[in-house]
Amino acid sequence: MNTQFITIFRALSFILLALALCSLIFIAAGFSAFELFESIINGAFLRNGAMKHALRWAAPLFITSIGVIISFRAGYFNIGAQGQFYIGAIFAAFTAEWLNGSPAFIVVPACFMAGALGGALWALWPGLLRLKSGADEVITTLMGNFLASLILIYVTGGPLKDPSGSGQQASSRPLDAAYRIGNSYELSPTIIMIAISLGLIMWVLANRTAFGVVSGLAGRNATMVEWQGAKLMSVGLASFLISGGLAGIAGTVELMGPNGRLAAGFLPAHGFTAILIALVANLSIAGAAVAALFFGGLASAALYLPVMSGLPASAIEIINAAIALFITAKSKFLDMFFSLGSIKWKK
Amino acid sequence: MEEMIIAILRSATPLIYVTLAGVIAQRAGIWHLGLEGLMIVGACGTILGIVLTGSVLYALLLACLFCILGSIIFWFVVEKLKANQIIAGLGLTGLGLGGTTLAVEAIFGTPAAVNAKFGLPKIGEVFGNIFGAFSGLSILVLLMPFVVFGMWVLICRTRLGLQITASGEHPFAARSVGVNPSRMRFIALMIGGVLCALGGAELAAGSLQIFAQNMTAGRGFMSFAAVVFGASHPIGAMLAASFFAIVGALGIRAQLLFGEDVPHDLLLGLPYIATIFGIWFSAKMRGGAKAVTGFGELRDQ
Amino acid sequence: MIKSDENIFECKNITVSFGAVHALQDVSVAFERGKIHAVVGQNGAGKTTFARVVAGLIRPSAGEMTVNNKTMPGGDVKQARKAGVELVHQSFALPPSFTVAEAMQFGAGSGKIYSRKSLKRFWQKHLDKLEVKVKSSERIKNLPVETQQAVEIARALISDAKFLILDEPTAVLSPETTQKLFVRVRQLKQSGVTVILVLHKLKEVLDIADTVTVLRGGKLVQSPLNCEGIDREKLSAMIIGENANQNLASSNKGSLRPETQQDAVLDVQSLSTIKDVEGAALDDVSLTIAAGEIVGVAGIEGNGQRTLVRAIADMVNLKSGEIHLNGQNMTQMSHLERRSKGLRIIPFERNVEGLSSSSSLWENWSIRKYLQKPTFSFIKPKQDRAACDSGLKKWDVRYTNVDQLAGSLSGGNAQKVILSREMDADAKLIIAAQPTRGLDIGATDFVWHSLRQARDNGSGILFISSDLDEIFDISDRIIVFLSGQLVGEFTPPFDIKEIGAAMIGADL
Repeated sequence: MNTQFITIFRALSFILLALALCSLIFIAAGFSAFELFESIINGAFLRNGAMKHALRWAAPLFITSIGVIISFRAGYFNIGAQGQFYIGAIFAAFTAEWLNGSPAFIVVPACFMAGALGGALWALWPGLLRLKSGADEVITTLMGNFLASLILIYVTGGPLKDPSGSGQQASSRPLDAAYRIGNSYELSPTIIMIAISLGLIMWVLANRTAFGVVSGLAGRNATMVEWQGAKLMSVGLASFLISGGLAGIAGTVELMGPNGRLAAGFLPAHGFTAILIALVANLSIAGAAVAALFFGGLASAALYLPVMSGLPASAIEIINAAIALFITAKSKFLDMFFSLGSIKWKK
Repeated sequence: MEEMIIAILRSATPLIYVTLAGVIAQRAGIWHLGLEGLMIVGACGTILGIVLTGSVLYALLLACLFCILGSIIFWFVVEKLKANQIIAGLGLTGLGLGGTTLAVEAIFGTPAAVNAKFGLPKIGEVFGNIFGAFSGLSILVLLMPFVVFGMWVLICRTRLGLQITASGEHPFAARSVGVNPSRMRFIALMIGGVLCALGGAELAAGSLQIFAQNMTAGRGFMSFAAVVFGASHPIGAMLAASFFAIVGALGIRAQLLFGEDVPHDLLLGLPYIATIFGIWFSAKMRGGAKAVTGFGELRDQ
Repeated sequence: MIKSDENIFECKNITVSFGAVHALQDVSVAFERGKIHAVVGQNGAGKTTFARVVAGLIRPSAGEMTVNNKTMPGGDVKQARKAGVELVHQSFALPPSFTVAEAMQFGAGSGKIYSRKSLKRFWQKHLDKLEVKVKSSERIKNLPVETQQAVEIARALISDAKFLILDEPTAVLSPETTQKLFVRVRQLKQSGVTVILVLHKLKEVLDIADTVTVLRGGKLVQSPLNCEGIDREKLSAMIIGENANQNLASSNKGSLRPETQQDAVLDVQSLSTIKDVEGAALDDVSLTIAAGEIVGVAGIEGNGQRTLVRAIADMVNLKSGEIHLNGQNMTQMSHLERRSKGLRIIPFERNVEGLSSSSSLWENWSIRKYLQKPTFSFIKPKQDRAACDSGLKKWDVRYTNVDQLAGSLSGGNAQKVILSREMDADAKLIIAAQPTRGLDIGATDFVWHSLRQARDNGSGILFISSDLDEIFDISDRIIVFLSGQLVGEFTPPFDIKEIGAAMIGADL
């Protein structure tokens, strides 16, 4: 209880610090910070149907973030969620194209499987490079993100190009309506169900299986687990694959749900936001559900801001970035506070 | 051939400046993923400076000022708040990308691209035609080799360089001779901030005279890759950055030669693939199965 | 009383606290000029903290220091160095990728631009003057420890040090190089440098020091006392405290191994390994351990002891040879399979290899069981927490609850957690690698007692330690490693001269 409270308090205090930095930037840019925050909160959580919009954005983010959590817990700093998300979506789009005409109950599951496979493949090679040769996964997954977005540009402008599309942004042919599991204007119960069930599965995996405990220990101290006789290869590779697979599923959700098609460079901040969610939740799956809702709200506010109050959408990007800047921070002052607190509560 | 070299110099110069910033940060023990953010701040600062003040000098000063400010924030967060360098670096990048968009929108009312009337002075304007076909390049291209040399001297041939390197490699060693590693990192990041500003300036105002949203397009990250590829040695990293530029230029060239048969977008990925191979190779050379970074916060001490 | 103008260094009422813990408490001491002073005490007595306070690396929470009667501000290395105080660390503080010349330059040289050649030449002169035999262009990481130490001493002497502190300088040295170091220290004394040696071996203290200062539990027990006319017993009583000594002596007389020759639990036949990053490679090592036997491994650290453990644990690649456990060939088995056959390891580094300090106790405790299951099988944390709770209680571990982080336990308690995990009923071969390092007397005694009990219950035990006294006390048989080879095997009564000679490869 006590440590959980500390975790939440710590996250909140650094979010406040981040918001303070944001206010400074907003004021420096000549906006009223108060007005901006008011609009953001309004757009994210208070306006009519805000929850619905927040959930729409939160569901795929949550799916990706629990994958990030699995790999971070195992000690692998897979920051390639964005690329795995793209490749998953691309695999799903090809599958849909290939099976076009088949009944939906075949196509939809096939697409999800392909999506998971695609994402997992895009995590497999950094995983292998890391586990076999010790190549730093931060850099390889980061490079993987850029490669994936180039592949997406290629695919949407080449093999899957929509001939009727305008020249502005390359995009793929829209999915047949029968294969869609959601649309852009209302909340899809299917997607919510998918997110919830994946969340439950991952919670069990992390907390109720040998894999969860062993990978968690390996993440904090790999040497100790090796001295216990574990080969880190399989546990590590599994965490890479699961993490990539989940990002791929999130890509498939976005493709078959709200988006309905691939577009070059769509949702460019998805992976980064998912990492933030994982960190804000302190790598807890349950915590990620709450954090995803918060960041989902911010994402929906980004669309609301320019339209409804004529304020710049980049404000949301700045808020996210500022949170990233502070979220992993530890401060002596806060630690002092925490240690005092823990003495008081300990019986 | 000359054209090709000019093209390579054009794309390599901004990369090299930013790579040097990454090198000195890396030496001091900081994995600098905020390079992308600082670079775009440098680019934006330069163009806004030219538009608003009409003076290249003031524009460069403005760019440096903002990049140093960003570096101070980064240093504070990483050093004083002990935040994870990689996440905080990505945060700084996000702050740079979002902040420049916001700044443009705040000043011009729209986030569209901003054109400046003129860019950085060209070699030809300063030195006359002695450089022949290269006269059209900006003076920052001419300055680049001297900056690389200067950084090499600073890092490899002065005590300050040794102290910076010691702070990154063995902070306790630094502390035990009375060197404050935190201060060394501050110095390294400040120097890096100025270099990022120059890199951004060259990108936006070297051969172009425009600032557009997200115009760095991952160059900062590519520089970071060059730092790792170049084993954080100023010369090695410069060669790595040039290599990226050459591969990029060759990609465009290949497309001109072979036309649509070669998927241009995929060729653009060659530098990234090269980086991955570079990382793989250097990890193999190191022989260890352990990566250098990783997610330290959650680990045991 | 010593007159104050003869004192080069004086500290008054120095206190250092980390949170609620006092590392040093109210220590007042004055060191005379031109002598060799020893500071002794057990692990955790505050010796290293004291050395770092003096060198300005740690700011004392209270107290005052004076050098040559001038007050020196605490916690400022630059000021300390300016006053002529230099510290040579226990684990050396030189960046491994630097050349010797660079390592000298970064701490002391001028700020001017140099060329590689001039730098080399400049510092080579200095090194030659001090008779340190090393090329200034060599990289630190390629140097043997004693040379690294010599380089660091040379670095400390650049700026005309008047007061040199060496923190546990002999911990990493062989007896031979220790003697060389002592020769150097005496030379320094001749040239007018006041030297403080932080030591923990009595013999060395009596060998070299002019005075001795004793710390215990962060408090000053004895301020500089002339070494002449002090005897070993009295000094050791001061270091350990009065009562502990008897306790220790009585526990030492354990039962010897049962006379009946049991089957070998471990049988290693001509084992050779390929080069390992973590120590000397094994070269044709054969050894057996019988059930109910403790085999002590002596040798200077880094001579293959670690590789032997890693080879038995399948953590290093073999070149040739076979490993049998309980008569079963397990050369081809994985570490996990070997563990399921009764192999247990108490690793060298408690908090690195033994426990994850930022994980809960029950996770640390349950991992051995979990690794024997398929990776994706379900677990019942509630039951495992309870099992851990009763397991730890049985071993008398002091803790609040099983969700507590392992890092919050004291060294002795943490070691007990490892013992309770590794020394279960199925343990056939227990490898105890440095199991008492850094533990206080009580905990050390507990570890010895547990190992003896396991031996009496029929386990074979491989006991590795860098403390010869300890090995002598506990082992039924002693083997000695040198450069990856098994160079000697000894049965009781043990002769320290013979074993010591075997350790350094000297013929008697």
